[in-house]
Amino acid sequence: MKILELKDVHKIYDGSEVEVHAINGISLDFQEAEFAAIVGPSGSGKTTLLNLIGGLDKPTSGEILIDGTNLAKLKSSRLIDFRMRNIGFVFQSYNLIPVLTAGENVEFIMSLQKWPRQDREERTFELLKSVGLGSRINSRPAKLSGGQQQRVAVARALASRPKFVLADEPTANLDSKSATTLLEIMEELNREEKITFIFSTHDPRVVKMAHRVITLEDGKVISDENKH
Amino acid sequence: MIWKTAWKNIWRNHIRSVVVISSVVVGIFAGVFSIAVMIGAINQRIDAALNEEISHIQVTAKDFRTNYDPALTIKDSEKVISVINSIGGVENTCSRIIISGMANTATKSAGVQIIGIDPEKEKKIFSLNKKIMAGTGDFFERESRYNLALIGQDLAKELNIIRYYVDSTMLAELKTEGVPEDIVHRLSGLTGERFTSEKLFIKKLKLMFTTKEAARYGRIIREKAWSFRENSKLTLTFLDKDNYQVGAVFRLAGIYDIRNSMFEQTNVFVKNDELTRLVGITEDSFHKLIVRIDDTDNTDEITSSIRNKLPGYEVLSWKDLQPDLAMMTGLVHLYYAIFMIIILAALAFGIVNTMLMVVLERTKELGMLTAIGMNKKRVFSMIMLESVFMSLIGGVVGMIISWIVIQVTAREGINFSKYAEGFEAMGFSAHIYPQIDPIFFIEVTILIILTGVISSVYPARKALKLDPADALRTE
Repeated sequence: MKILELKDVHKIYDGSEVEVHAINGISLDFQEAEFAAIVGPSGSGKTTLLNLIGGLDKPTSGEILIDGTNLAKLKSSRLIDFRMRNIGFVFQSYNLIPVLTAGENVEFIMSLQKWPRQDREERTFELLKSVGLGSRINSRPAKLSGGQQQRVAVARALASRPKFVLADEPTANLDSKSATTLLEIMEELNREEKITFIFSTHDPRVVKMAHRVITLEDGKVISDENKH
Repeated sequence: MIWKTAWKNIWRNHIRSVVVISSVVVGIFAGVFSIAVMIGAINQRIDAALNEEISHIQVTAKDFRTNYDPALTIKDSEKVISVINSIGGVENTCSRIIISGMANTATKSAGVQIIGIDPEKEKKIFSLNKKIMAGTGDFFERESRYNLALIGQDLAKELNIIRYYVDSTMLAELKTEGVPEDIVHRLSGLTGERFTSEKLFIKKLKLMFTTKEAARYGRIIREKAWSFRENSKLTLTFLDKDNYQVGAVFRLAGIYDIRNSMFEQTNVFVKNDELTRLVGITEDSFHKLIVRIDDTDNTDEITSSIRNKLPGYEVLSWKDLQPDLAMMTGLVHLYYAIFMIIILAALAFGIVNTMLMVVLERTKELGMLTAIGMNKKRVFSMIMLESVFMSLIGGVVGMIISWIVIQVTAREGINFSKYAEGFEAMGFSAHIYPQIDPIFFIEVTILIILTGVISSVYPARKALKLDPADALRTE
């Protein structure tokens, strides 16, 4: 089932002197339960593409449809709400709320969505257990290692069962062992929860684990290879 | 979750939050406590007016107040008294004779109001009988062959009935009161000298001591050097009912001190039977009927009910008689609202500044929160709650501290004796017992919450303007 569709998307930034064509006519489809990596050199447009898909930025032209909804047509308040219900985010620098515990960070979106308390707690525990942090539910982010924090971030992204999770360089700040563990966990969750993961990276070990690899260069897709 | 996060966010930067909270604590304490002192002073002033000076309601014949004609007594006095006593809420009444005249001693004279009273009935309405200065006499208790007059401390000073002299007992007392040896020693040079008036004594003290010493110890020295000429006489002269001048010699019954210079200077009390005889009116006639009621809050209601039942008389409540007091009670509420608002406005600037720093520091986090789906309303509420929590913590602590300080100081009162003359000139006691109405704390709490909300608006708007993609890029 097609959950995400990009149709001839362009993104042009108006620099002070020159226009920057960050995304140059990209068309892509994503199905349910995909595990896709977006790779390419710095400046190839990976982050811009993820921002566009995540509705954090608007395309200059072209359409991005999530389950048939055109993101560019949503008003900003509806867009935030739409993001909350449909998209999970994992950031390069974890970005957990430092004053809340691991459990509370995971629970946060569910509580914004007004899930019943018991459901929230069950889901939080279940997710933290599946990222291997069941015992750290009451730890603050500062007490966790980088790898552990990023696992909490993954659990948070999945908490409210979004259509897909976007992860911009999720392993960039991690050592190789933590990076591998994180990817294994992501892959397992992808399988179990049937949630699509789209992540950007330039770490070859991470690329190896992806099921689909989309390579960008100068804002264009130069290869889209399905390994399964 | 938003509440919890906001609460926890306050404690991210302990020092900064504690500084902001402390400023609120200090501001609220300063505001609440000074208002409590002010309310205490005003209420004491009103109590003094009601208990010692005018009571609640006064009834006179029409036109009596315009020229104080002794012939304008209250007609049908028995009927008037029984009508008033039949009104609910009336506690007691007493009658007075009011005559304008002069008080003279051998050297001085002063214009006064001579008030004829029935001491027994008077005690049920006024507490003047408890304000007689020790050693000066009593409230018409003793039998005497002479006419007796009770005068105020300030009139006694003016008429040179009070004298000042320095002796060894007085010097010893000063030492026990903690006046430095050196000052006592210099003062002992005056031993044996008599000063017939306060002015002369002060003049001498000013020559002997520096301004600072005089300000610090002048009052206590004057209090200790004070002496009262026993069996002093004064002559009261006034017009009788036929406009003939009469005069009579009175012995001092005592000297009262109610810490109100104006009142003390002008009000001389004598027994009404002595006065009726001298004025030439019948013994049971009087000019003024004073009504005490059981609840000051019912003043207006009872006043108008007396007015309705006694249309031929002038009926005035304490609010009519002392409009300044009525105004003070009315204005004090407005005044302290303005006072608190000014303090809170000043505090608001500090809170705005802190919250702006908070938004700036957390740009990335706020971007993340918007990205993952926290909408504007929630971002706004979170910032607002942080600001409200900080002001409330400070406010509550400030109010608790003020409450404790008010309780402690209310027990002994605060003595502003250094400024006593100024206070007493306005009719205020210099010994103030701070007090506060608990409702006030509720009002202040509401104002504090409002301050928190208002001071979060600008920083929160800044937070709302953040673009999540840009915010996430900041380091």
